[in-house]
Amino acid sequence: MKVGILSLAHVHADGYLALLPELPDVRLIGFSDDDTERAQATAARTDIPWLGSDAALLAERPDAVIICSENAKHRAAVEQAAAAGAHVLCEKPIATTLADALSMREACERHGVSFMTAFPMRFDASLQALKAMLKQGELGRVYGINGINHAECPSRHRAWFVDPELAGGGAVMDHIVHLADLYRWLLASEITAVYAEVGNPFLPESVAVDTACLASVTLSNGVFASIDASWSRPSSYPRWGQLKLEVVGERGAVAIDAFAQHLTLYSPHASRQPSWVNWGGNPNRAMLAAFIASVRLGAPPPVTWQDGYQALRVALACYASQAGGAVVPLGGLTAVG
Amino acid sequence: MRVGIVGAGTMGVMHAAAWAQTGAKLVGVYSLRDGPELAHRYSAKVFERYDELLKAVDVVDLCVPTNLHPAMTAQAAEAGKHVVCEKPPALTMAEGEAMIATCERAGVRLFIAMVVRFFPQYRAAQQLVAAGQLGALGVLRLRRAAYQPRKEVDNWFLDEARSGGMVVDMMIHDFDYARWLAGPVIRVYAQSARALAPDSSGDYALVTLRFASGAMAIVEGAWANPPGVFRTGFDLAGSEGLIEWSSDDTATIRTFLQPSAAQAAACPERSEAACPERSEGAGLPLAPLPEDPYTSQLKHVYRAIKTGEPFAVTPQDSLEALRIALAARESLQTGLVVTL
Repeated sequence: MKVGILSLAHVHADGYLALLPELPDVRLIGFSDDDTERAQATAARTDIPWLGSDAALLAERPDAVIICSENAKHRAAVEQAAAAGAHVLCEKPIATTLADALSMREACERHGVSFMTAFPMRFDASLQALKAMLKQGELGRVYGINGINHAECPSRHRAWFVDPELAGGGAVMDHIVHLADLYRWLLASEITAVYAEVGNPFLPESVAVDTACLASVTLSNGVFASIDASWSRPSSYPRWGQLKLEVVGERGAVAIDAFAQHLTLYSPHASRQPSWVNWGGNPNRAMLAAFIASVRLGAPPPVTWQDGYQALRVALACYASQAGGAVVPLGGLTAVG
Repeated sequence: MRVGIVGAGTMGVMHAAAWAQTGAKLVGVYSLRDGPELAHRYSAKVFERYDELLKAVDVVDLCVPTNLHPAMTAQAAEAGKHVVCEKPPALTMAEGEAMIATCERAGVRLFIAMVVRFFPQYRAAQQLVAAGQLGALGVLRLRRAAYQPRKEVDNWFLDEARSGGMVVDMMIHDFDYARWLAGPVIRVYAQSARALAPDSSGDYALVTLRFASGAMAIVEGAWANPPGVFRTGFDLAGSEGLIEWSSDDTATIRTFLQPSAAQAAACPERSEAACPERSEGAGLPLAPLPEDPYTSQLKHVYRAIKTGEPFAVTPQDSLEALRIALAARESLQTGLVVTL
């Protein structure tokens, strides 16, 4: 199967470039990118060819592509890929507006290609174990979930993450969607209301987007949950950030620290002092394998456009809630399976 | 200095042990239950009436259900006695204000036992924040995850009319701490298990605060863990730095013991953590320390009365924390955002 990566703009593209060649029956044909310097450096480092523009890559007739462009450019990339007959795995958030997201779905349906949203944490072993526990009712009735998806401000690695035009916002757009999706998936329920405190306490001088968000959501099964999507880790933190959550119910609590499987490295050669070096699973690998398998079998993707769309609605509702200082209902939703 | 304790429950026992570390003398105990046992331990006298106890002491220490605080404080003040009173000060702002006014008028001191301010990790973090190590505060995360208080007789903690419920009784600690760190709160939004389902067997709440400074906080409270579990933690992120602390990660002593024969017989299917020997009453987040925080607190009270020095946490501070807790409860009841 021929697979390509459309753009290196997202920080996750580097990980995909490393993982795709490891997958059986996948031929990574190359990547497109509009940043010549970045593209040449990556091609030299990885021996994976830079094919130029998106159109040039798509002319090679890939079976599937991974969209790693800036959030606001997803729509154009998805529409081109769909027209070229390539199945799509799209970075999150899937778009910066609902209109763009809807148009992406329409393009994929029209050209008969599948669309998968890149929510790798669904493929994490600890979260899958949690999902099984909840399904078996081991917590009894679930009361609530307190989740953290902290990060450092990613502008150190990619400047566009703090460009309101390209990213559609800041920490809210970057990190609300992961936990919003996990809550929907874990509880097999929809998020029906959102309240959020949003602000920029961390980099008020240097960036023009939000860097902090505490969102409170209500789900259709009556569970409430919190999402801390803040870019609150300093650059001196031993890792990019973390994903933790605790589910509390009538039989007690379950705590998840999805990236706890790390070594603590103290070395002048490390990029951080100290540095947490992961030795556990990489959920991106399982996500890519699931995407490739769904394309090969012609099966529906394991994470759908609808999943990406609902998560985007939650992110946009955070901004609406902050603007109005009130709880924002998300009506008219159907439950996920 | 002669001290009388009212209420021989979890807090009365803790306070009696703490007073024993000061220069004061516990002379009397007045309690509906377990009074003789506590009094005997400290060679104190058992009193059958509150007014009799008041005659015999210089300081009265109220470790009774919260709804009793206002009247008992007023009676002590009128008798000219200093008052130490467990948190929360009261269940309404008006009652709390009246307690302060009554004590001021009577010329006696009023100490609300906001003990978390005497926990060394909370103090150390506050000092780092105040010294500017974190720059401007951005997002605070505060956790207090305990088990539902258990009492064989009269479990008043579960009666909102007497305790205010978990959000008022327990989470007031973290509301006070958040305010100590980040200043006045302007907005509160809260969700809880019991607000959504009043028949919940436990309780769990997530409360979001926004401060005038622009900072924000998420405060988590749980009465949902197995008996004996009490986990606390904070994560304080600022524009220039970060403090992480969790009781999970800083235990200086941990045990991995086979259950004793008695434990095995009592709870054959359960782990040691889920079946501790002592899980009666409300939980206490204690760790091995040179001095337990309850002792630090009452030593400070003792010095403050002796020397007239100010107390580290004023009754007004405790009232402001109560104001946040009551706003959280209002948000729970209405489902709306509450502006202060």
